[in-house]
Amino acid sequence: MTAMPETALAASAASGWSRRAGTLALPALPVVLAFALAAIVLALAGHDPVDVYGQLLTEAFGSRQRIASTLAASTPLILSGLAIAVAFRAGAFNVGVEGCIYVGGLAAAFAGFTFTGLGPALLPVALVTGIATGALWMLLPGLLRARLGVDEVVTTLMLNFIAISLTSYLVNGPLLAPGAANSATPMIADAARLPRLFSGINLNAGFAIALALVVLYWLWGRWTAIGFETRLAGLNARFARATGLDVPMLIIRMMLMSGAIGGLAGAVHALGNVHRFVAGFSPGYGFTGIAVALLGRGNALGILLAAILFGALATSGATIQLFTDVPVEIVNILQGMVMIFAVARFGLLFARRKAS
Amino acid sequence: MMALASALGVTGAQAAEKPAALIIAQGGLGDQSYNDLANAGFKRGLEAAGLKGRTVESKDVVAQANDILRRASDAEFGLIVDLEYSHGTPMLEVAKDYPNTLYGILNQVRKAPNIVSVLFQEQEGSYLAGLLAASVTTDTSIKGINPEPIIGVIGGTKSAGIDKFIAGYIAGAKAANPNTQVLVAYSNNFADPALGQQMAKAMFESGADIVYHVAGGTGMGVIQAAKAAGRYAIGVDADQDGIAPGSVLTSMIKRTDVAVENVVKAYGRGEKIGGTTMAFGLKENGVGLSEMKYTKTLIPAAILAKVEAAKADIIEGRIKVWNVVEQGYPDYLK
Repeated sequence: MTAMPETALAASAASGWSRRAGTLALPALPVVLAFALAAIVLALAGHDPVDVYGQLLTEAFGSRQRIASTLAASTPLILSGLAIAVAFRAGAFNVGVEGCIYVGGLAAAFAGFTFTGLGPALLPVALVTGIATGALWMLLPGLLRARLGVDEVVTTLMLNFIAISLTSYLVNGPLLAPGAANSATPMIADAARLPRLFSGINLNAGFAIALALVVLYWLWGRWTAIGFETRLAGLNARFARATGLDVPMLIIRMMLMSGAIGGLAGAVHALGNVHRFVAGFSPGYGFTGIAVALLGRGNALGILLAAILFGALATSGATIQLFTDVPVEIVNILQGMVMIFAVARFGLLFARRKAS
Repeated sequence: MMALASALGVTGAQAAEKPAALIIAQGGLGDQSYNDLANAGFKRGLEAAGLKGRTVESKDVVAQANDILRRASDAEFGLIVDLEYSHGTPMLEVAKDYPNTLYGILNQVRKAPNIVSVLFQEQEGSYLAGLLAASVTTDTSIKGINPEPIIGVIGGTKSAGIDKFIAGYIAGAKAANPNTQVLVAYSNNFADPALGQQMAKAMFESGADIVYHVAGGTGMGVIQAAKAAGRYAIGVDADQDGIAPGSVLTSMIKRTDVAVENVVKAYGRGEKIGGTTMAFGLKENGVGLSEMKYTKTLIPAAILAKVEAAKADIIEGRIKVWNVVEQGYPDYLK
């Protein structure tokens, strides 16, 4: 780990230490600030903040089962965070991961209840179907951005609405489970389900996939040529182009990669947790993923920790209601505050980049 | 913590003393419809049974089926009523692991010894709506009514769950007047008011003067079209009469609150309702027509009396309304 090929970047060697200290301390700051502010809101609403935070902590990490729930809730967030971070690196602000989760999830579920004759090959086939669909979904905005300079924020955002409406139409019509009163596809076959990691613990292999992807992401950024080139293109596209890099091609490839990981997030959610596609499939994982990527500052470990934080808030925020009168809105406020502060850091980064 | 839980499990042998939990469906509280109604019934049930209870709401609710159900079961809740439709299958798996906990699910049947399924006899309420509509549609003394015996219905999707309403509606219409023609159409979308408005307009133009909608948000357009055309819509699920006062003839209400209240009360009394299906029809006040606050004075008393008589006949079992979900499709609706 000490022998980083980063020395290629002359400047980074000198500032390496101070930067590393910074990457550890700075992301914690928005979290601390958010919890402090939310404590004030809690106190104003008549709740004891210490008590509520204690309960949240117990519900998030208080037992093996609760830790498993937190990790399960963080699984789609790790993946969507990575999907967004990959595009960020290339300098593309992809806000369309939510749409990839929808189309990827529906495609994976479709494979899971349709190609049931495949036996043990069904699970990988369903996963790949989700990944491919997610990647394809990002082809158009990738091309438009790389070749015509069309703003990817607009195209990917609009594609989200199309993805949600399209899947909603399909699940209300052609793919509706026979006899179902609500919008849901049939259940996927048992062979398409992601297995549990430990018996009796509610955590499926999707978490392992997400972890593996975090490691791959780290390796990719540190050790591969394309990872380095991507970072270069993201940091300064003009310089990258001057050194002979095909930046537009790089952007297309990274948008496809981003879409593929988003599609995987949907596939893992469909095959590991919901076991079908239903209306309201994702409560905004693709958007929370933006906060995860920003809070994690594009760093592999940072993304993992940020996703676990949001996963912990999601799961403890739901079950805490079984034991206290704290309404779910308070937890949403907390989540929102962490997001706002995460984005605030991002703004500062931007300002610095422009200045230099 | 494990020791505490098991200790509680031993002492908590009397089921009716353990608290109850209600899991709110997608859309959350404040929807002024399904969730809010159910929650109100839950509160009334707890009050009546002298039980403690908690309501759980989450925007991640689809993903958290296992999480919330297991946590509530571990925490020694004796009854867990779940409003989220997509939780039906996960509930089957969780219920296996907690045989001493009672679970409740709505609008579907899940067979397990400790799950109580709640169904609504929507066909019964829809029968009354059809009877009323077919009686009114030829009475030209009423404003906006033409002499043609034509009425309409718009379903959100072609499925047994929706056709259950439609078959009841047609049966009621034919009972009032065998010559009634019922126009049937499906919007294939539960959230498109513009589409609903278009479809209803087309029906009004083909001679219908009353259109029933079973199409969620799409139905809002049906009501708007009725208002614009000076005709009538029939609302569904909640009392929608007030959305366009005077233009909504009546609403076929599903009393989710009554259902949840009754489940909680039965649990409180220690009744063995696990493994059963509780059906809420006209008799249980689980479905029914609205009070017709804005239209009652428009409708001749004789017609209202006929509707009341049919209601009594259904309650007494003299009329059995066709149930598409249980009996398949009748000849008049293929």
